[in-house]
Amino acid sequence: MTRLIPTAELTLGPFFPPEFAQGLHDLAQGVAEVIEISGRVTELDGNPLDNVVLEIWQADAAGRFDSPEFLGWGRAATDAQGNYRFRTVRPGACAGRAPHVNFLILYSGLMRQLQTVMFFEDADDPVLRAVEKSRRGGLVAKKVDSTSYRFDIRLRGGEETPFFDD
Amino acid sequence: MGVLIEPRDAMTQAQGVEAGYAQTARRWPAQPLARRPHSASELSGPQVARRLALVRGDLAGHGDRRAIGQLVRLRVRVLDEDGAPLPGAVVEAWHCNAAGKYIHPNDTHDAPVDPNFYGAARMVAGDSGLVELRTIKPGAYPVPDTGGWWRPPHVHFSVWGRVWLSRLVTQMFFPGEPLNESDPILNAIRDRAARERCIARLVPSKGNELVYEYQLVVRGRKGNPGMP
Repeated sequence: MTRLIPTAELTLGPFFPPEFAQGLHDLAQGVAEVIEISGRVTELDGNPLDNVVLEIWQADAAGRFDSPEFLGWGRAATDAQGNYRFRTVRPGACAGRAPHVNFLILYSGLMRQLQTVMFFEDADDPVLRAVEKSRRGGLVAKKVDSTSYRFDIRLRGGEETPFFDD
Repeated sequence: MGVLIEPRDAMTQAQGVEAGYAQTARRWPAQPLARRPHSASELSGPQVARRLALVRGDLAGHGDRRAIGQLVRLRVRVLDEDGAPLPGAVVEAWHCNAAGKYIHPNDTHDAPVDPNFYGAARMVAGDSGLVELRTIKPGAYPVPDTGGWWRPPHVHFSVWGRVWLSRLVTQMFFPGEPLNESDPILNAIRDRAARERCIARLVPSKGNELVYEYQLVVRGRKGNPGMP
């Protein structure tokens, strides 16, 4: 059978059309129990990055990925201070996985996408366990209050966020 | 239908840190990327067409609203690794105008804006996985603070495949461009054949448009039906 090799990924570049990221940070339209996930994206030396494109993919509150009512996908871009924000629902657990939100990061200078995962607490999850113990804290969001979580993403250096290769 | 995602081949993908592209050394992780087991979370994917509106399938315009530049038609087929077309795949495309200027406010290049050109489109693939974009050929432009790096003409593509791990964001180049030989982005792909697959093919056409064909191959093969 034909075997095609996946096209090489190449950097998003600095000029992703702003309209493509507008209004898509809100996954929770028409939903009662909303949470906010926000954070800051930095490069080497903690320098904040403007206009980083983040996409998330998550289950609904019942742990379903194919809900007709809730599309568990959103996109946000960082502002000049490196900050992003999503409005969403807290995902449920599903088939052997603790509640989590998949993050995809696209940016100028990132030759290809970076993948990471946000957890709400340290949990017995196979993806969290795939990261060495000393670095797992980088995948656990900080609870700000009952409906808001902070998840900072450090691309390189210092307490670098763990990223996944698939 | 289950989807199987195999590890990336380092030779046919760009390396993370590229000497000719200084920002890569500030942004690509210093620590090795971790391998993870795949579950329903990674092997399902968003039906983004539910949320994303289609915009501007034609960037070239007509009559007195025609954008400046050579008319081109890009025939882009979205396929998986089995060569199976992906009808319904959402494709985003963006590129600069014929003078090398983007619509983006962060573009500081001293090149003219074309009032008839807005370089962003979102399309959905038809039955044979085909999207067609009528537009103008983008120009080359210098990258600031690099001492002479000019980007060759290119078109950015963003596409969603069957599952979360099939997401593809890349750039398409034009054949016969001397700047292709020295571009640090294109040449970050070490395998020559993989680089050449990022260059569109000019095909004969009798109309008034230069027609280019291109393939976007997203990750994923058909797996066992019992897979997540």
